[in-house]
Amino acid sequence: MNFKLTEEQELIRKNMREFAAKHVDPIAVEIDENSRHPAELFQKLAEGDWLGMPIPIEYGGAGADYLTHIIAVEELSRSCASTGFTVSIHVGIASMPILLFGNEDQKKKYLVPLAKGQNLGAFVLTEPGAGTDVMAATSTAVLDGNEYVINGTKTFTSNGPTGGTYLVFAWTDKAAGRKGMSAFVVPREAPGMRAGEHFKKMGLRSSQTSEMIFKDCRIPKENILGQEGAGMAMAMTGFDHGRVGIAAQSVGILQAALDESIRYSKERVQFGAPIARQQAISWMIANMATDLSAARWLTYHAAWLKDQKQPFSKEASMAKLFAAEAAMRHTVKAVQIQGGYGYIKGAKVERLLRDAKITEIYEGTSEAQRMVISGNVLR
Amino acid sequence: MPTIIACFKWVVDEAYIRRGSSGELDFSSVDFKISEYDRNAIEEAVRLKEAHGGKVIAVTVGLPGATKGIKDALSRGCDEAVFVADASFENLEPSQTAEILAAVLRSRIPDFDLIVCGEGSGDLYAQQVGARLAEHLAIPCVSFVQKLGMDGGTLTADRKVEQYTEITSLPLPALVTVLPEINSPRIPGVKDTLTASRKPVATVKKDELPAVGEPRLRTIGLAAPRMDRTCEKFGADDAEVTRFADALRKKGVIR
Repeated sequence: MNFKLTEEQELIRKNMREFAAKHVDPIAVEIDENSRHPAELFQKLAEGDWLGMPIPIEYGGAGADYLTHIIAVEELSRSCASTGFTVSIHVGIASMPILLFGNEDQKKKYLVPLAKGQNLGAFVLTEPGAGTDVMAATSTAVLDGNEYVINGTKTFTSNGPTGGTYLVFAWTDKAAGRKGMSAFVVPREAPGMRAGEHFKKMGLRSSQTSEMIFKDCRIPKENILGQEGAGMAMAMTGFDHGRVGIAAQSVGILQAALDESIRYSKERVQFGAPIARQQAISWMIANMATDLSAARWLTYHAAWLKDQKQPFSKEASMAKLFAAEAAMRHTVKAVQIQGGYGYIKGAKVERLLRDAKITEIYEGTSEAQRMVISGNVLR
Repeated sequence: MPTIIACFKWVVDEAYIRRGSSGELDFSSVDFKISEYDRNAIEEAVRLKEAHGGKVIAVTVGLPGATKGIKDALSRGCDEAVFVADASFENLEPSQTAEILAAVLRSRIPDFDLIVCGEGSGDLYAQQVGARLAEHLAIPCVSFVQKLGMDGGTLTADRKVEQYTEITSLPLPALVTVLPEINSPRIPGVKDTLTASRKPVATVKKDELPAVGEPRLRTIGLAAPRMDRTCEKFGADDAEVTRFADALRKKGVIR
């Protein structure tokens, strides 16, 4: 067993920490308050190759392993969970399926600009009536000559208003059940596709989320990813990758909650001593540090399995489930430790608490993760 | 095409030093980093290369475990590195480090044009290595440099001296020690870090060097500074405000 990161991974973590302190921390409160997508920040992320880390160099990426990407998402999320998430979704769930299932032409045309950060990727599956129950989706794609025609309404699409390349899932043969869904790469300029208004959310506010409306959206038939009917399996593979990213985002939130709790409890004096000396507080921090460590190693293990080319679906779900629930549990405590000061807008813990909640919901709710895990262990 | 040497020291990252219960320093879980001002030295060397061509060779003297530091330096734009490593190099004195660097440069890179060092290291900040190295090599040395320019065989270096700026001009080869305001070091991109280990690194062992002089300093003890804080509360009425002003006067804060 070897729990040591490589020297490159350690350096990349430090570099991302420095990047986040220099470019993300100063704007994190503002982009949250204004629900603003910081395009200028993503330009800088692209320049540092942070938007295509695990994509091979020949496809415009940095050629890092998945674990290295995960460490960067964690460090970025420690400063701003919205930014960390946008990177995670762009890489893990939007770009990775094109790398894994796309043909050479699709990779050259769509993956290279994604990996270089020239545009953002989005994963377009959820519908108003189809969340965890993916089979309830109703969007369709019908072949008409040399084009597929997509119709339907999608929702909660992250990077919807700001995306450039959309991975869209629709039925090509509803009667075929799970084998009837297909995946398509749809460029922003495709006629008939439109992003709705950016939703105003409780947390994760600078990440842009919207409906995606497809009205006779026509795309060339070569934009299908793999074969007709392979979409569902691709979506699940996308989720496996994406969930490790959400776990990393949750770990970043947890680390920030711990950083904030340690800092505040050592400074805040009540009853003549720093509150860190009160057992009520120090035990909260002990629990936080313990769950952080557990969440981090579950996450790194899932990423490591992926890098070893071993199955990691169950481990990705476990990491995401545990890290997300721990982030929720402990950001509540982090606000409690800071009392009234932690409840005021602009306090970092207040933002962490609002940002943590979504990690239990998207890319599979905690309940959906338990379905995946129990399905694996009860087999 | 100039050959520029950037010297750096791989030092303990002070953020990881803990204070033990009796004031002793706990180094048990420290990480290391390129000394802050040496990052400016590397950055300046790389910027000069980007403007004038040539190459940058990073040189460090340290423990054999400092391989991460070499990769860090190479990821910042240096083209090659010379790593002078030995297990006995943990607490070298500035005079010893300067001797070693001089021997390595004389034997391995005698045709250098410019040496850039940080003004002082992040741990000792003795400001000795640069000046001593220049003396060993018998080349001009300018310290406290906040701006550098290179034109053919001539270097211009702006020195920060108290509230003045001294503008100096000197022939190459030369050595400068730089201040942090000279530049803002780049944050290496992911590819820069991942490809750093493909760049050439020459490792020099202790037995390839002439014997180094004996240490002249002895560390007797190392302890965290103690900062005593007192807290006195004052009220808001006139008498209390007078008492507050008196207290400040007594402490010499106001006159």
